Amino acid sequence: MLKLLNKEIKLSASKLSFLFIAFAALTMAPGYPILLGAFFISFGLFQSFQHAREANDIVYSALLPISKADVVKSKYVFCVFIELLGFLLMAALTLVRMTLLKDAAVYRENVLMNANLVFLGFALLIFGIFNSVFIGGFFKTAYYFGKPFIFFIVTAFIAVCAGEAIHHVPGLEAVNSFGFEVLPLQAAVLISGAVIYAALTILSMRASIKSFEKIDL
Amino acid sequence: MGVAEIRGLCKEYPAFKLRDVSFDLNSGRISGFIGRNGAGKTTTIKSILNLVHPSDGEIRYFGLPLLGNEAEIKKRIGYSTGAVNYYPRKKLRDVAAVTRSFYPNWDEAAYEEYLKLFRLDEQKSPSELSEGMKVKCNLLLALSHGAEILILDEPTSGLDPFSRDELTDIFLMLKERGTAVLFSTHITSDLEKCADDIIYIREGRMIAASTVEAFRGYYSNYGDTLEAIMLRLEREARYA
Repeated sequence: MLKLLNKEIKLSASKLSFLFIAFAALTMAPGYPILLGAFFISFGLFQSFQHAREANDIVYSALLPISKADVVKSKYVFCVFIELLGFLLMAALTLVRMTLLKDAAVYRENVLMNANLVFLGFALLIFGIFNSVFIGGFFKTAYYFGKPFIFFIVTAFIAVCAGEAIHHVPGLEAVNSFGFEVLPLQAAVLISGAVIYAALTILSMRASIKSFEKIDL
Repeated sequence: MGVAEIRGLCKEYPAFKLRDVSFDLNSGRISGFIGRNGAGKTTTIKSILNLVHPSDGEIRYFGLPLLGNEAEIKKRIGYSTGAVNYYPRKKLRDVAAVTRSFYPNWDEAAYEEYLKLFRLDEQKSPSELSEGMKVKCNLLLALSHGAEILILDEPTSGLDPFSRDELTDIFLMLKERGTAVLFSTHITSDLEKCADDIIYIREGRMIAASTVEAFRGYYSNYGDTLEAIMLRLEREARYA
């Protein structure tokens, strides 16, 4: 699998996929819908799919001495790799906001989502949507990615709106807590996000392997 | 027994059918795969590489069925095409470095040898190369893992006569080394120089699969060239 990841990084990936990891820094932007950081990281991954298609990457990969399932897995492994790098950066910055900056007025007065474990759970949900909706959609043809990307934008937009606004729903104010307040609730949302991310990614990869086996390249 | 055996290969598209294609590839022999544009050459080649799914038929390499042994078989075969270029903006050195990692049988000495023979610059990317050099670039990767079977889809299309002549010399050298070569083309004059066997396909149907001598013996009038034979057969089919 390391060889496949190396191939993705060295040949298939767009440099933008790596540069867009920096959008994780939006976690620190005051008064900004910080969940868009996860969306922009996903957008960077989309650039790699464009780059790979222009380079005939799928046919090159299919001709390597690997199974067709491995061709699909390599795309998922690369995306998970970038997503986890972005997530780690977001997590580090979130910890800064939860500790050193938890009382900073600029964040306290924010009407949008606060950077806490709930935010990280929603970020994983957005990455899971990308893996499921976009990558899963792409592997139905292994060529067309316009529709899957539009579906991803719509679904991710709904998830971002939900995440940014959920604490305004009466009774759900606690999800926007500061620092380590209401930690069990924060941790539960993060764990749920992680489980949903893993489930969406694994189910999508299985479906993509099946679709790709049937495709004529 | 050939190193590759194709039996009863069929593939159905809405507007095209490949029907009952059968042939063998043998070590140290060059098989010219001829037919007009759209006759089914690329479909056949993609089918035997499992890039498209045949509707029916059996594909075996080295005595093993392709399905179920794909990864193992692909270590021992090479594929090149004149029509597709991989990673046009990446340096050849980088593409070779990644390709090398997938082949335990990668032969670095052969890679260096073909690099010199083809006069390729590792620092260049395919987008900086002429059409002929791009074909050689693909061939370099296909040959450097000691492929026992080389499958070439119209490698000489778009090349000038001198480059085509150079390539056919390379195929002859590979033949001497025991490689089985399947070489599809509609430029039959390229085959006069190097082919041992002819596989002729028209509208998805096999017309012939035999040695060049047998093909000439059956279809030739007064020492016709392969091109003259093919033109005559195609005209006869059109007006039949």
